[in-house]
Amino acid sequence: MNSSEPKQQWLIRLQSFWQTFSKNRIGLVGLAMLALLILMAIFAPLIAPYTSSSSAEFQVGDIYNPPSASHWFGTDDAGQDIFSNFVFGARISLIVGFFAAFISIIIGGVLGLVAGFLGGRWENLLMRFTDTMLVIPDLPLMVVIIALTKPSLLNIIFVIGLLGWTTTARVVRSQTLAVKSRKFVLRARAVGAGNAHIISRHILPLVMPILVVQAVLVVSLAILNESALSFLGLGDPTVLSWGQMLNYAFGRGAMSIGAWWALFFPGFGIVWVVLGLTLLGQGLEQVLNPRLDTHHLMPGRPTVRKDRVEAQTKFTKETVLEVQNLSINYINEGKPPARAVENVSFTLNAGELIGLVGESGCGKTTLMLSLLRLLPSAGQIVDGRVFFNGEDLTTISDEELNKIRWKEISIVFQGAMNALNPVRTVGDQIAEAITRHMPDFPKDKIQARVIELLDLVGIAADHREHFPHQYSGGMRQRAMIAMALACNPQVIIADEPTTALDVMIQAQILELLDSLRKKLGLAIIFVTHDLGVVAEICDKVLVMYGGVTAEYAEVDTIYNEPRHPYTQELIKAFPDLTKPKKKLTSIPGYPPRLDNLPVGCRFAPRCPAVFARCQTEQPILHNLGNSHIASCHLVEASK
Amino acid sequence: MNRTRALLKKIAWSAFTVLFVIILNFFLFRILPGDPARAGIRDPRLKKEAVEMLRVRFGLDKPVINCFESLNPIKVGSCAVNPLDTQFFIYTRNLFQGELGISYHTNRPVADILAERLWNTVLLIGAGQILSIIIGVVFGIFAAWKARTSVDYSAVIASLLVWSLPTFWLAILLLFWGSNNGLPLAGKSTPGSSSLPLIQQWVDIARHMLLPTLTYTIVYMGEYTLIMRSSLMDVLSEDYILTAKAKGLSTFQILKDHALKNAMLPLVTVIAINLGFTVAGAIQIEAVFSWPGLGGAIVEALGRRDFPVLQGAFLLIAVTVIFANLLADLTYSYLDPRVKVD
Repeated sequence: MNSSEPKQQWLIRLQSFWQTFSKNRIGLVGLAMLALLILMAIFAPLIAPYTSSSSAEFQVGDIYNPPSASHWFGTDDAGQDIFSNFVFGARISLIVGFFAAFISIIIGGVLGLVAGFLGGRWENLLMRFTDTMLVIPDLPLMVVIIALTKPSLLNIIFVIGLLGWTTTARVVRSQTLAVKSRKFVLRARAVGAGNAHIISRHILPLVMPILVVQAVLVVSLAILNESALSFLGLGDPTVLSWGQMLNYAFGRGAMSIGAWWALFFPGFGIVWVVLGLTLLGQGLEQVLNPRLDTHHLMPGRPTVRKDRVEAQTKFTKETVLEVQNLSINYINEGKPPARAVENVSFTLNAGELIGLVGESGCGKTTLMLSLLRLLPSAGQIVDGRVFFNGEDLTTISDEELNKIRWKEISIVFQGAMNALNPVRTVGDQIAEAITRHMPDFPKDKIQARVIELLDLVGIAADHREHFPHQYSGGMRQRAMIAMALACNPQVIIADEPTTALDVMIQAQILELLDSLRKKLGLAIIFVTHDLGVVAEICDKVLVMYGGVTAEYAEVDTIYNEPRHPYTQELIKAFPDLTKPKKKLTSIPGYPPRLDNLPVGCRFAPRCPAVFARCQTEQPILHNLGNSHIASCHLVEASK
Repeated sequence: MNRTRALLKKIAWSAFTVLFVIILNFFLFRILPGDPARAGIRDPRLKKEAVEMLRVRFGLDKPVINCFESLNPIKVGSCAVNPLDTQFFIYTRNLFQGELGISYHTNRPVADILAERLWNTVLLIGAGQILSIIIGVVFGIFAAWKARTSVDYSAVIASLLVWSLPTFWLAILLLFWGSNNGLPLAGKSTPGSSSLPLIQQWVDIARHMLLPTLTYTIVYMGEYTLIMRSSLMDVLSEDYILTAKAKGLSTFQILKDHALKNAMLPLVTVIAINLGFTVAGAIQIEAVFSWPGLGGAIVEALGRRDFPVLQGAFLLIAVTVIFANLLADLTYSYLDPRVKVD
């Protein structure tokens, strides 16, 4: 029973692998091409119209006869049938490819595993050796060795195999390193498992997939190398490989006679098998090591509503940004769209600071990115409008939007570690924003402006010539704020600017934003999951849960009369200095997954006040007057 | 100061690799059978004096290295011999004096034969590398930028296809095509062209270079396309590209000012690592087009069993590749401000 259990698991893994692989078109085509060739090699005596290439008597025709009914691929310089030789030649290519690759994979795999697993001096030594071998050009070395020994098939296999392991060793080593520090390996070591056990049971299974992909690549390289060696005249004279067929044809006048068939078909065979292996390798790589093939420059999905309207509400002078019933979906092919944000509205006045609060995964960042249409390519604005000074940002052209981005609305991104370009100086990146949006700004004054901006956030002038990696986390965040201020925008979106920073620096940055708002009259949207921060600096609060508005009100209302159970629970979860004896509670459970939202109220599964209606009916937004909004059935009941 | 130390470390490493190649090259030709110099000495027709003369001429009368009289067959000798009087030392000393031995075939010094040929190979690889890198980078940019569109898919499939072509076979196909289009098919220049004016000589060489360079470019551009594509895809999904987009920069500006340099950096390393492999392509191309480079020298030496030339060509190729590798390595650490010098 014990032995059958892991075997079944192994089978299940193989089945799930095949399920994904069978959807990969590139991999399947490669596999089919390879399978066809392997079948041809196995059944060569049945397929070839003339018998084995060594007994020439049955296949002699005229030399260099063009393709005909009796000789599909024509005849060669000895009058032999090229099609028959082609069919048998597949055997040589595959034998050399697979056996040589086998040697390379064993050597490279063992060296990589040992180096990665042992680490320290051994790793250093082995990798230095690998790097040395990697630099030495392999084909000339193969040529020298085979020229000095006998050019037999066995020698060729060994030479290609013994020189082809370097990349495998590197790949396996880095995978071993990555696997070695995983929890279950450390745990196995902690309970006293031996090295052999750890390698065979814990590391090898995770290195194996990469080794398989690598093996496919090594086979194709070995086949290419064999053909090149044979073409250079170093092939085994007793067997006729594709490379050797080309060597004979090229060396014996096929070119001058114009016998293209003698030169074309053997090469076509090599291309077929190598391309098959390459496609198979690509397919395996995509299945075993899937990468998200998306990036920030891919065109976003167009807003569903195309009509442009002027703001319906009369814009008072102080309203800068008005978001109306905004809904955003993430489109997954073959699946229903994930409703990331639904029907969210808020208003931002000049000089106002609004807090956007909620746990991770509640759609806060999605909402902020959508304001400037910066959503990833799967994201789509399906409903609602974003009015900035009366203009609808969801429908204006990209060019118009590019004039508003950063000039009028700038963003301080979460975790500024990667938000700055690592190969350009910080000062240069700030200056770029100025030259982009203020072409009239005097060139000689740009540096002074950069220094002024950095000074504003407390960074010394000489740091402007430094690269982001030379900054501390807090400095990078402040530099980001300086960059956001560069064009005197009306609105700054600060997306969790203080996460991952220590408390002192958090306080500094909050203070900085608050003082800038007062000094420059900025409107700020502050995204956070920290209610303490909100209480300190915000005017209004928008609490989001599962992509919808839970509650929206003035900050005092939120703290003193929260109506939504989620807001109430959030407040309970944060310490209050005025009531030091208050017991802190946390909300059990997690926010809902966007692709699996509950039918009724999204908070129902975690709500302490849940009742029957919450399970089936999604609450609407209830206006409680004085611009206090909450979406809860209880609010309606008490109204 | 740290930077200098890192620099010296890299140079020292390359020097060590060169030393490794020299030692490898020496022992390969001593351990493996097949060197006609030694095979010839075993010829039963030779008189004793003639054998002795040959041994002296090729330096085979000296012990291979301390403790070993010869390595094939293994014959243990005295360890007390003067190390300066061993084949290994003489070989190394000659190397440092720029001597690579005498060709069996032409009796000319190998170094002289190979010197001019090295430049022809460098010319071919240089032109081919530059072209394939430019084309690969451009295709890679388009493929990554237009990711998951038909532009991207065609670029990837085409790259995989050219990657799968055996270099010599593509060379043959192009040679066929060239022979029907009146292009020169062999060598570096038309015989007798040296009497022409300089401009016409250059045009002549360029015409001869066309097909070899084209072969080289096609074979290697696929790989560079794929690498550039995946590198740029990585960069374009970084947070700082989102920042650049939020800054209102146009797609062109983002690619030019924020993505390209970052994406090209890994390419420099790949180009360096690749050099060792691309030499393989050059050898095949030179064999097909009779290009008078090191690869051509290897092919000719193979046919004539001219082992000193073979040995010298291998050494020269290896050392050139190691040197180019060092150069690429240094370029990288110069280009990337993040490379911490420690």
